[in-house]
Amino acid sequence: MAGGSVSECKEYLFKVLVIGELGVGKTSLIKRYVHQLFSQHYRATIGVDFALKVLHWDSKTLVRLQLWDIAGQERFGNMTRVYYKEAVGALVVFDVTRISTFNAVTKWKHDLDSKVRLANGNPIPSVLLANKCDQKKDGTNSASLIDNFCKETGFLGWFETSAKDNINVDEAARFLVEHILLNDKGVPYEESNGDRIKLDQEPIPAESKSGCC
Amino acid sequence: MGSTTEEEFKEKLLWNVKREVKQIMEEAVTKKFVHEDSSHVIALCSAVEACLGHMLKRRAAGFLRSDKIAALFTKIGKVYATAEEVCRKVQEQLQQQADITRRTQSTTMGQEPLRRQGSVTGRVPQPLSAQAIKHIWVRTALFDKVLDKIVQYIVDNSSKYYEKEALMHDSVFGPILAALLVGPCALEYTKLKTADHFWTDPSANELVQRHRIHGAHRGQEASPGRRPALGIRKRQSSGSMSEDKFAASAREYVESLHQNSRMHLLYGKNNVLVQPSLYLPQIGKVSKHLDDTWCLLSADCGGTLVLVSQDGIQRPPLHFPPGGHLLAFLSCLETGLLPRGQLEPPLWSQKGKGKVFPKLRKRNSTARLVDQDSDDEPVAADYVFRIVYPGHRHESTVTINYHHTTGSRAPSLDDDEEEEDRLHAMISMICSRNLTDPNVMKDHGDVMEMQGFGSSPSSWQQAENASHASSCLSCSVGGGSSSIELPGACTCMHERIPLKMLCHNMKRQIVSRAFYGWLAYCRHLSTVRTHLSALVNHNIVPPDKPCEASGGLSKDIWSKYQKDCKNYKELELLRLVYYGGVQHEIRKEVWPFLLGHYKFGMGKKDMMQIDEKIAARYKQVMREWKACEVIVKQREKEMQSAIFAKLSSGSSIDSHVMKLIHRDSTLSNEVFMSVDEPDGVGQGTPSESDNTPTMTTVVNPVALAPDERSLVEFDSPDSGLPSSRNYSVASAHSQILSSIDDGQSMEEETEEEATPRGGVGEASGRDSLSEDRLCSQLDKLATNSEDVPLSLSSYTIEMLDTVALNLHRIDKDVARCDRNYYYFTTSNLEKLRNIMCSYVWEHLEVGYVQGMCDLLAPLMVILDDECLAYSCFTQLMKRMSQNFPNGGAMDTHFANMRSLIQILDSELFELMHQNGDYTHFYFCYRWFLLDFKRELLYEDVFAVWEVIWVAPWIASQHFVLFIALALVEVYREIIRDNNMDFTDIIKFFNEMAERHDVQHILRIARELVHKVQTLIENK
Repeated sequence: MAGGSVSECKEYLFKVLVIGELGVGKTSLIKRYVHQLFSQHYRATIGVDFALKVLHWDSKTLVRLQLWDIAGQERFGNMTRVYYKEAVGALVVFDVTRISTFNAVTKWKHDLDSKVRLANGNPIPSVLLANKCDQKKDGTNSASLIDNFCKETGFLGWFETSAKDNINVDEAARFLVEHILLNDKGVPYEESNGDRIKLDQEPIPAESKSGCC
Repeated sequence: MGSTTEEEFKEKLLWNVKREVKQIMEEAVTKKFVHEDSSHVIALCSAVEACLGHMLKRRAAGFLRSDKIAALFTKIGKVYATAEEVCRKVQEQLQQQADITRRTQSTTMGQEPLRRQGSVTGRVPQPLSAQAIKHIWVRTALFDKVLDKIVQYIVDNSSKYYEKEALMHDSVFGPILAALLVGPCALEYTKLKTADHFWTDPSANELVQRHRIHGAHRGQEASPGRRPALGIRKRQSSGSMSEDKFAASAREYVESLHQNSRMHLLYGKNNVLVQPSLYLPQIGKVSKHLDDTWCLLSADCGGTLVLVSQDGIQRPPLHFPPGGHLLAFLSCLETGLLPRGQLEPPLWSQKGKGKVFPKLRKRNSTARLVDQDSDDEPVAADYVFRIVYPGHRHESTVTINYHHTTGSRAPSLDDDEEEEDRLHAMISMICSRNLTDPNVMKDHGDVMEMQGFGSSPSSWQQAENASHASSCLSCSVGGGSSSIELPGACTCMHERIPLKMLCHNMKRQIVSRAFYGWLAYCRHLSTVRTHLSALVNHNIVPPDKPCEASGGLSKDIWSKYQKDCKNYKELELLRLVYYGGVQHEIRKEVWPFLLGHYKFGMGKKDMMQIDEKIAARYKQVMREWKACEVIVKQREKEMQSAIFAKLSSGSSIDSHVMKLIHRDSTLSNEVFMSVDEPDGVGQGTPSESDNTPTMTTVVNPVALAPDERSLVEFDSPDSGLPSSRNYSVASAHSQILSSIDDGQSMEEETEEEATPRGGVGEASGRDSLSEDRLCSQLDKLATNSEDVPLSLSSYTIEMLDTVALNLHRIDKDVARCDRNYYYFTTSNLEKLRNIMCSYVWEHLEVGYVQGMCDLLAPLMVILDDECLAYSCFTQLMKRMSQNFPNGGAMDTHFANMRSLIQILDSELFELMHQNGDYTHFYFCYRWFLLDFKRELLYEDVFAVWEVIWVAPWIASQHFVLFIALALVEVYREIIRDNNMDFTDIIKFFNEMAERHDVQHILRIARELVHKVQTLIENK
């Protein structure tokens, strides 16, 4: 994942999946995150859409998140395998107003873990997003429940989010990126990001921060 | 200095050039391109400069100038136009560099922001390295592919510029130097994405714009075929230079951003026809240069063949048009090498297909060959063939076999005059090539070869083989030792030994070889034919007969047809639509015909009948699912109350969440559901649902009624609801009954349930179908409460689950279906929902899949009639449903796309293959799923759909493939020049959605169909 480094600034390109049942607000979350806006006028995603978010992580690190907005019904096709390829992180979204979308989280997570792994064989880091929290009835606390669920299912953590009211969107992404960066320490670039490396490494072979081979 | 040392020095200079040429050729062979900043380029430049600078007359070098080469080039530029062009370019580059330096100085800290900005507006020309500037003259000439010409010019006029002893003045060394540079000057030099490409992630729009700027100038330069021939570029005349300077530098600037105007390949999409006549002369021409021997061939499926001689010198690439010509050539060659020589790795023989390319695992893999899978087409890859001589194994037998084979198979080809002509061309080419070859026929080992018909293969093979420099010499004396392979052993130059005595033999031998090779070629073509012939109609329907069809189906023609529909030929109407579309005003009338709702030639009566039939059916279906929907809604409510109940009682429910809830008693369920109607109804019955396995919750049906008709609010669960397994028909029954017991306006409810069973014969008419009317009819229906159990028992639990799931999905998608398009008002969205639910109700086994709404929406817009749209949608889905996950059409589409691109645009195919996995063609997924609906604006969708619908009768059942191909072709330069990978290309097309020039794309698609048709027709 280590991108080419320019003037001692490390650049990363991370492919991050955004998955979950249809209509839970994946596209809205991404639009909020990347373009800082909420629109009622998006359409159902067919196949996959993309968005790019550039994060100035710190003075020496620049992170480019390539967000893959995968259609909610794609789990039923055989295409997710292609879409998941080389992803290094995932946001799994459900809709707090619809319990069924939460039930489906387990299926999505399973689909994810069965189809994509980090180079070291671990599942890719994933964060659970309880979206549409602005529509939640009241502030009753269910944190410990979902905490447990995350532990059991293998999520790094979860966030109550609202794309509409811009709640926790940045925080959740930041949380995920932190973990991706942690993982990156030991992951050779080649394996996690196939094609790009060839182009990068040629001019600056020494700068890549790959750990082995 | 003694003359010997002087000679040695010159040799050394030349040798240096030779070595660098070899290096650069190797890089080109292994990487398919040479980077402009490659160290080999720099090394070659300096080696060439050393030669050029050798004993340059002081006058030519310019007395005071430090840069001899600059002086030389400037001088030559005054008398030689090609050099002048180079001079001009060098000046421009130097100017640019100066600008850059100035800019960098003025914004010392501005480097970074500048780069960042580059990601939006384009890349700033990169400062050239000091090395590059140092060699800028030779370098520019090299990238312009004119270095060899300039050197040749200098050699021809060397007396003017050089001392007598100069290398350039030498009658041997000078021409050799020029000849050496021919190879590097035929290469492609590229500025590929570099380290900073993360910054230069341009939007699709930007890419297209860049391409347009670039394309504009290309348009001037290029032939109508858009791809100028290698090395032929119009030069600006010297007079217009200053005027054009700005434009030219702007162009150069744009080019330097991303593209490389030198990257034109000879044959691309516009030369897809099988045209052996094109490449034969070319080979013939090239063969004249082949006075050295060669041993290594590098080929790719894109049709480029590069011959590399043993000393690393690469011949100018031979470009073959797609369609198996390269394979045919190699096959011929392989055959020609037999029995003693062979291609390593050999071509594969495949049953029924003839020769195919060997499969390569990976370019850098040591084990090159892997098992051939069942792919029909050769994989695109670089192939490096070595010509080797494993031994004299089958010499005489094979010779006889050839004789035999030729005799028996030749007649089968005789009837095809055209092919025979081509064959003759090829033969004469090979013959002439061999006649001029100095190394022909050195093998005296086998007397039979000298005399026999079709013999002496080794002589020919040696013509191809440079590794035999030494063995050739030895075998000319010693005989059969020529079969020993000496890879890389010798680099010495040959003496020319004319062997005219063998020419007669040679010719006859080659005739047999060529025939054999031709057979392989024919077999390959027949494979192509078979594969492609399924994709298009064989009968070509012309656009201009019986009349010009590009005007499309106009209102006039349509009204004529309607008056006289018996005499109007259906095919003629379809032809008009295919070539020109339907006039918008009559789309509403015409589409039902195109979609098969009506049949052409139908009378008014028949049409009425069909309408009535469909209307009745639609009404029936509506009734059925609406009834079911009521139950589904009820059930949802009930389940919610059940959950409340469970929560309050703490009993376990078989569900993940519920388990969790159970574990943590402090948890409130409200995270998971914003219960929209947590009214007393549900909460009132917790104990009841607890105690009985079947939940008999009382639901207030009145509360349901408004809900069910609202689109967005409908909050139904997906599958896997906790209580679904417990839910039984009996429970539904009892639930209804209990509602009735409640005495709360149950009539409405039960009425609706009663209708599906009863199938009430209502007065049916199309006008009765508006939503309001229908609902009111349902409401008014008389009811018989005894029907209720019957109707309920007709729904299984699974079915109710499925319906609930589908209804929910439909609602989600209907609500957001093209909400920016004026047509989709709330009432029209409701119609959309009705149709969708009706269709899905009839196809519950498939269910609703995302995308179906997109397919229905344009039909709604045009037809604006619920019933008609329902019927047409049903018709449309007959084909489209195959693309959805349960159908298998998508994979077939991908496979076909793959084959088509491979055959029609092998260069692009090669690139796609090179960039990894996207030969899956997943970037076409949305295209095929929705017939390009998401790629185009509404009015364009109409135009494209019409053509797709009529295409099966006119051109191809798989017209979508050709549209997809057209889309790829329209942007192929952008895809290629930006070296797009799988992600890039999906992203690009996603961003390009609704920005395509549809008429252009349709035109190309039709042309592509035509091309394939003629390809098949002409064999």
